[in-house]
Amino acid sequence: MLEFIDLNKRFGDVIALDDAGFVVERGRIMGFLGPNGAGKTTAMRVVFGLIRPDSGTVRWNGSPVGPEERLRFGYMPEERGLYPKMKVRNQLVHFSRLSGLSKAEASDAVDHWLGVLGLAGRGDAKLDDLSHGNQQRVQLAAALAPDPELLILDEPFAGLDPIGVESLAETLTELASGGVTIVFSSHQLDLVEDVCEDVAIINEGRVVLSGRLDDVKNRSRKRRLTIDVDGEPWVPDMQGVEVVNGPGPSHCIVNDDAPVADLLASANAAGTVNRFVFEPPRLTDLFREAVGS
Amino acid sequence: MKPWSQVALLAKREFLERVRNKPFIITMSLLVVAIVAIGPVVSRLAGGDDEVTKIGLAGEEVPGIEQELEAQAVLFEMEIDVERFPSRSVAETALAEGEIEVVLIDGTEITFHTGGSSRLTALVQGAVDTAVKTEALTELGLSENEIAAVVEPIAIEVTILEESDAQDEAKRGAAFVGAILLYISIIMLGQFVAMGTVEEKQNRVVEVILSRVRPWQVLVGKVAGIGLLGLLQLAIFAGAAYASAQLADLPDVDVAAIGLPVIASLLFWFVLGYTFYAFLYAAVGSTVSRQEDLQGTLMLPIMLILPGYLLAIFASEDPDALVPTIGSWLPPWAPFVMPVRIAAGVAQPWEILVAIVGTALGAIALVWIGSRVYSGALLRTGGKVKLREAWRAAVE
Repeated sequence: MLEFIDLNKRFGDVIALDDAGFVVERGRIMGFLGPNGAGKTTAMRVVFGLIRPDSGTVRWNGSPVGPEERLRFGYMPEERGLYPKMKVRNQLVHFSRLSGLSKAEASDAVDHWLGVLGLAGRGDAKLDDLSHGNQQRVQLAAALAPDPELLILDEPFAGLDPIGVESLAETLTELASGGVTIVFSSHQLDLVEDVCEDVAIINEGRVVLSGRLDDVKNRSRKRRLTIDVDGEPWVPDMQGVEVVNGPGPSHCIVNDDAPVADLLASANAAGTVNRFVFEPPRLTDLFREAVGS
Repeated sequence: MKPWSQVALLAKREFLERVRNKPFIITMSLLVVAIVAIGPVVSRLAGGDDEVTKIGLAGEEVPGIEQELEAQAVLFEMEIDVERFPSRSVAETALAEGEIEVVLIDGTEITFHTGGSSRLTALVQGAVDTAVKTEALTELGLSENEIAAVVEPIAIEVTILEESDAQDEAKRGAAFVGAILLYISIIMLGQFVAMGTVEEKQNRVVEVILSRVRPWQVLVGKVAGIGLLGLLQLAIFAGAAYASAQLADLPDVDVAAIGLPVIASLLFWFVLGYTFYAFLYAAVGSTVSRQEDLQGTLMLPIMLILPGYLLAIFASEDPDALVPTIGSWLPPWAPFVMPVRIAAGVAQPWEILVAIVGTALGAIALVWIGSRVYSGALLRTGGKVKLREAWRAAVE
């Protein structure tokens, strides 16, 4: 279990983390969300001792995270970077050994992950000679090869093609079912909704929402209302309706105590109702509400 | 996993990636070829046939003289070439033209053109003496063994209690060359350290590394790896220079005259001096984000190194002068100046102790300061980080 406890960090006048705290359960995948500059990267760097918080701690299985614990963590930083002129296999083995693997273990692990990530033939190539997408895969391999208990991935899906996204999602799900705890940040909310069981949303350094995705959705007092009247956009005329723009049928966010029967009646009066859906909010809706835009 | 085994892994990567680097291998090979070639080429240009001393013979023949000359030459550790001339005048012309250095006439007269060498005189005299006596004893009817017992020169062991000036010169020269080598090496290797640091920052690989190890480990690993590379380079160059001297058959290059203690002391000061400055270079290098910004920042270490180099030159002229003496006590300059003063035999034991302890403490302080600046500056990109800001932002 990974716990962020009351983290505070200022950079000059900027408050990067403001009493930020949340918990990630073992073997689960958590989507760590927030607008740019909200403090995601700072929080992740704190886990790896790259940034010292002004106050607060990070605990792993109950004890504060130190150099020994970090060797059992895998990290894929937002700023991608490896040695451009070094052979792919050599540098992956180097990083795995730095994480404490023996020569033979490192060698086996690297070959395994190069195979899984579709880079089996590229081990002797220099990183520089690989395509952007493949470099991204090597970066992921550097985090995965040491067989970590905890994986922290900063925007792992950015820059991947749809097939790459799908296979990475599968890989993460498999790892989690094998007991690996995973935290990743992303701006692709639909993807997070598909892959993650848990989410934490951070805004201006504060964790504004965290927990199981289902619980968070159910706890929300908002509901998503989708109405399609004769193919025309039709918006119910009542207080507190928030229209979500987009093509096709109109989507609105309403409170959970909205008079659904009345709304349906007025929609019927306006024309033929092809679709009328009243459902829990989507992650996008929660996100928008949480960060207040 | 122990911190030091991680440091060893970091150092190993640093060393191997650089040694395997093609441009490095090519540059080293070219330099080695150049160094090996320089000795023989210079000695040929300077007329390297001086090694063989030519001796002329004229007039009445002394029986067995050629043999005896060769025998004496072995004792004198000289190489000679004996040539017989038809007459005294022909021999004297050859002497005047420099074809031979000395001529023996009638077995009774030794003629030089100018100057004259007591060593050569002794050699020829010995040969004539032995040849004449052998002849006389043969006539008396002694056997070959008996004659040999009488005339065979006795090898006498020579011991020198006080070292001669030549040896002092060799030591002082070695210490001075050591100071120059240290100066060049620190500037070059320091540049490697600083560039490597910036590269890792520029490539962003530093975040991947620092998620596994602490800043001081990265720093020590890098400095150790590049230091090993420097020692390897020095060893290769020294080997090439020795081979070059052997090929050129230079009698001046006498490693034995320098002596192992001096070489060991040079090596010791090299390691100490390199360590001191390498951590400074790493700290300074970590404050910039791009290679282009590096040159300006490197002025700081260079401004510190330069006086050390100049003081070493002063010290080699006048090892007891006040300024080099004070310089030889202080950490930034001791590695350059102290070996020169030690070789000159003027450094007191307490001075050497002060210099060693001071420099070692300085190096340790720089590991600490360097690591702190390094950790504070590494994740800051864009522009140059001020040393003070980096110090405050440090992680550990």
